[in-house]
Amino acid sequence: MNLILIGMNHKTAPVEIRERLSIACTEGFNPLEEIKAIPGVGEALYLSTCNRVEILARTREERTDTEERLKALIFRHGNLGEEDMARCLYVYRDSAAIRHLFRVAASLDSLIMGEPQILGQVKEAYRLAVDHQAAGIILNKLLHRTFRVAKRVRTETGIASHAVSVGYAAVELAKKIFGTLKGKKVLIIGAGEMSELAARHLIKHGGDRIFVANRTHERAIRMAEDFQGVPVDFDHLGDSLREVDIVISSTGAPGYILTYDMIAAVLKRRKNRLLFLIDIAVPRDIDPRAGDIDNVYLYNMDNLQDIADDNMQIRKGEAEKGELIVAAEADSYIEWFNTLAVVPTIVSLKEKAAGIIRAELERSNGWLRNLQEEDREGVEILANAIVNKILHDPMTCLKEESQEGSALAYVAAIRRLFRLEEPGGGE
Amino acid sequence: MDIDMLLDVLFFRGALLAYLISTLTYIFALLIRRVSPARAATWILTGAFGLHTLFFLGAWLGKGYNPFLRIHDILSFFAWVMAGVYLAFQLRTKTRVLGAFVSPVVFLLMIISSIGIGGPLNVPEVLKGGLVTIHAMLSVIGEALFTVASLAGLVYMLQDGLIKRRKSSMFMKLFPSLQDLDRINHFCLLWGVPLLTLGVLAGSIWARTVWGSHWQWDPKQIWTLAAWLIYAVLLHQRLAIGWKGHKTALLSVAAFVLLLAALLVEKSFFTTIHRFY
Repeated sequence: MNLILIGMNHKTAPVEIRERLSIACTEGFNPLEEIKAIPGVGEALYLSTCNRVEILARTREERTDTEERLKALIFRHGNLGEEDMARCLYVYRDSAAIRHLFRVAASLDSLIMGEPQILGQVKEAYRLAVDHQAAGIILNKLLHRTFRVAKRVRTETGIASHAVSVGYAAVELAKKIFGTLKGKKVLIIGAGEMSELAARHLIKHGGDRIFVANRTHERAIRMAEDFQGVPVDFDHLGDSLREVDIVISSTGAPGYILTYDMIAAVLKRRKNRLLFLIDIAVPRDIDPRAGDIDNVYLYNMDNLQDIADDNMQIRKGEAEKGELIVAAEADSYIEWFNTLAVVPTIVSLKEKAAGIIRAELERSNGWLRNLQEEDREGVEILANAIVNKILHDPMTCLKEESQEGSALAYVAAIRRLFRLEEPGGGE
Repeated sequence: MDIDMLLDVLFFRGALLAYLISTLTYIFALLIRRVSPARAATWILTGAFGLHTLFFLGAWLGKGYNPFLRIHDILSFFAWVMAGVYLAFQLRTKTRVLGAFVSPVVFLLMIISSIGIGGPLNVPEVLKGGLVTIHAMLSVIGEALFTVASLAGLVYMLQDGLIKRRKSSMFMKLFPSLQDLDRINHFCLLWGVPLLTLGVLAGSIWARTVWGSHWQWDPKQIWTLAAWLIYAVLLHQRLAIGWKGHKTALLSVAAFVLLLAALLVEKSFFTTIHRFY
């Protein structure tokens, strides 16, 4: 199969080394051309993200030094001692390389398992390979299969469907309460980094009307400007509470900013509209008993963190299902690959032709019956002769190419043109 | 195949089977806690509803049949309205997993209905007036809306409990949002109360012409009045006092359970002159 994958990721390489490589490629290097120039490399793909660098190449059999040359290229780009870098590199071949590529694209190998960006990055890497004419028949097929596997893992397992950050956990909860965040009003109490971060999350998901309250009103005004929101009076929070749907509180106050009585009273005035309180302050800003009030949903930092942690556990469980999908898909890809050998292709081509002749003769049985015995035989011989003549040149060509070791593309083309694709192994 | 066979076998039994498959698929979605089977279940439910609609259309156009005369037909119509109301909401708000609660009830009603579906039409002359049809139709639609309102309330209670528990939960992800469920509850009460009001009025006008008075202290009448009263109060609280969310959901469920129990008691211990429904 002659696939080789060399790379490093967050598990094998410390960040100092990874960042050198990603800097190297943003500085105008074009590793693809360089990789292609290495003798023995037939096709290549170069993937680089914050957390990984991977080179996937299809090599020609006759060269044995391709691996060393690929590594040398990485060392050169990383501008680091060989010993340092060699420790961080992993090398996979053939089926292991395929499995690794599937795992990467399906986000099973990511730092945050199930994160969605990696598939886009793999797609981008493939697009570059196509642009540089570095992707041929094998990589084309392999990458399309990769995208399919990634999609399968995503839809058939819950690996991506649970918020694993505090911010996303809050957004998901808000959606479970309000359905949508569109048009929802958000009150931020305490202008600070934490509340700003939380607010950005909510805005990104549709929360579009922001109110800001802060003990020093000037800071509230400044932060409100950032969010195109409205600064409100810190001493009359009750009035703002009447209007809003979501409250994020993160002041440095020693006691409760929002007391039980305050919230209970405000709920009546807001005609019991649902209220989602997020208390990310330590010590807490909101009386925890407020969570017992009907239609009030109170979450503090620990609650959100617990949910994110639990979800991470769920993702890990789902990842096991993903691994099963990856293993099965890798097997089926390898099965397809093995059909690309020349001899089985010639055999199945002959079988297909023989099958067609048989079927057509049977179909014409009606009028063939009227012929003399020997005329009938003559017709059969003629049919066989025509088919064999037509197939003769393609088959000779295949055999010749296989001597030169470059039959892969022809085999793939023939399998496709004559529809010799194995069931289940096809597109 | 004559029209009776066609209607019965193809449409009614077909719908019954599709409701069953839909219910099972929903249950499967709950068991494995994933939304994708629920999506399939919704389509199956839509198919079942389509067949069911064809059944009514065919019976009405083909035989001029009136589905509001016999208890079995009325149950079937009740199920049809519930499925239709739910699917209409599903179109707007994607409250998919609510179907897992609606579909079994619909199927159950259809099973009871199917036991008597082929029976002869021995409807007394007295029931063949247009007013009876209006009375039955409006009352059934009203009560079907109440049922959907209560089911939405039930799911609301479950989801509310899950969110208040502050734990990661697959069910929380699966169930619709509180706001959507509350909206369904609101809408169903908003339409259910006036429709049942009109239905009861039509019934009482007709009762006067047949039985000589509007009100007979019949168990069935008392039950209906109680149901009307409870849901009307609920709607009043919603509109005038601003009750929302948890409290309305809780009361919707309580009202439903209470009325269901009363209905069973009434059916087993009392005789009624209102014996056709």
